[in-house]
Amino acid sequence: MLEIKNLDVAYGHAKALHDISLKIETGQMAFLIGRNGAGKTTLLKTIIGLLKPLKGSITYQGNEISSLSPEEHYLKGLRYVAQEKKVFGNLTVRENIEIAAYASGEPLERALDKVMSIYPKLKDFLKTKAGQLSGGQRQILLVGRALVGEPKLLLIDEPTQGLAAIVIEEIVSILSGLREKVSAVIVEQNLAMVNRLADRIYILKEGKVARETVERSEISDTRGLEEYL
Amino acid sequence: MKSEESTLNKVPPSHANDLNAYPMKERGFINFLVITAGFLLITPILSVHRVTDFMIFCIFVMSFDLMYGYMGRLSFGHMLFLGTGAYCSGLFIRYISGNPLLAILMGTFMAGLLAMLIGLVIVRTTGACFSLINLAFNQIGFFLVLSPLRGITRGEDGFGVRVSSFGFFNFANTTFKFWFVLLCLLLVFYLLKRVTTSPYGILIRSIKEDETRVKFLGYNTFFYKWLTFVLAGGVGGLAGTLSALNYNFVNPNMMDVHSNVGVVFASLIGGAGNLYGALVGGVVYMLISNFLPIYIHRWEMFLGFSLLIIVFKFRKGVWGNIQDIWEYIQKRKGAPRLPA
Repeated sequence: MLEIKNLDVAYGHAKALHDISLKIETGQMAFLIGRNGAGKTTLLKTIIGLLKPLKGSITYQGNEISSLSPEEHYLKGLRYVAQEKKVFGNLTVRENIEIAAYASGEPLERALDKVMSIYPKLKDFLKTKAGQLSGGQRQILLVGRALVGEPKLLLIDEPTQGLAAIVIEEIVSILSGLREKVSAVIVEQNLAMVNRLADRIYILKEGKVARETVERSEISDTRGLEEYL
Repeated sequence: MKSEESTLNKVPPSHANDLNAYPMKERGFINFLVITAGFLLITPILSVHRVTDFMIFCIFVMSFDLMYGYMGRLSFGHMLFLGTGAYCSGLFIRYISGNPLLAILMGTFMAGLLAMLIGLVIVRTTGACFSLINLAFNQIGFFLVLSPLRGITRGEDGFGVRVSSFGFFNFANTTFKFWFVLLCLLLVFYLLKRVTTSPYGILIRSIKEDETRVKFLGYNTFFYKWLTFVLAGGVGGLAGTLSALNYNFVNPNMMDVHSNVGVVFASLIGGAGNLYGALVGGVVYMLISNFLPIYIHRWEMFLGFSLLIIVFKFRKGVWGNIQDIWEYIQKRKGAPRLPA
């Protein structure tokens, strides 16, 4: 579904990614892990079209997408959920969903049903300004909004960062419910979550892929993975 | 564990429903009644001509608010559209036809057309650049009517606008002008209310918050920003045409860059991002600028001080604070009673 080959990305003169190659099959959940500054977010931003690569290719469903804009990525079924849990704070929860429904052409009622199906409690907040939601509620809203339309590949940056254990559990169960329905590339430091959801792991270190694995035993080996964090 | 659970399930305080207690159609009718009653009430105190002027300014503030309050783009050159509307309708009456309705259409269309053209450049910018490019275009327009086009605009002197009576439409009659402008104001209010509460309205409010994230949702934000700019320009032009008909006169003051201060002040006084705020701000600003000079020689200084107070203490403006008080009262009503 998504294949990246020999990707180099730089911020001005400072190179952030060196010769990155990775591959994600349809229905897979791939996790990017690594220390702060390893280049995980940079890689997601490059895939979604916010950063242009110096060299290399990004192929999605057989088409080169590295030169496309973020809005073209959306129309192709890629959805990006950024790190900062930034919803449109002055819009209501309903309007936050409505704007996504309008973009994707999905009827509003169906979009609302779709989001409510992953987290029914959100129904109580529909007329609430999204800025008044808690961090966990905002993250769930963002993931729900990303499902509006016909998403094929989710790119989620640190979905559990700064959240309480019970909220993380909720998010893990939501993402777990999406398995086989959509593919995902998730940046995450929470190894317990990685252990439960990952089909494939890429460990990034100083802008390079230090390790790649699809082996269940290696994915479950949280101690082994911890040394990269 | 329990407290964590409550964080996720907690329903934040919301009073969104309180102001929406009536169905849309009914609310629209109530809005019209309240606005009409408001302007009718101040008419005996002021004068028909002055209140007509107030209403025209309110239309102009609403057009500015669409761009600033809703889309978050502060323009220092919105007078360009008011001036374009005034000049184009005035010149149309002077050189082509005395039909006032055609003149209004011409002025509004030309202001919209100008916004279409310069908008292609302007809406690519943000922040200070957006404000200053607008100012620059306004300055160019002001210079054009003042000097190079003096032959037809009569430069600094301006020119008179005499419209012919067109059946029921008698613009020589002050009372007719009052009702006609009021009708235009209500129509603009209705149009902008529909626009700002539609998905398109949600979109431009999202652009104000974070344009990049709107692009992540698949939107071509440039197009929507341009469309909003054109709409704001067109409505600003309508205000200009009505101004020309109200004063029966057009001169470069109608495009003066310094007059942009007025619309920015009015929007801030009323509360940006709200059509009621634009109306309240428009009326309050006009009252200040019309009556304060009678009592205070350097009244602009007072305006400066009031802006400082608004910026530091009442950022939501008059209407925003009225809303807050209303919400507070509703909250108090809904709160459980304290035990006796």
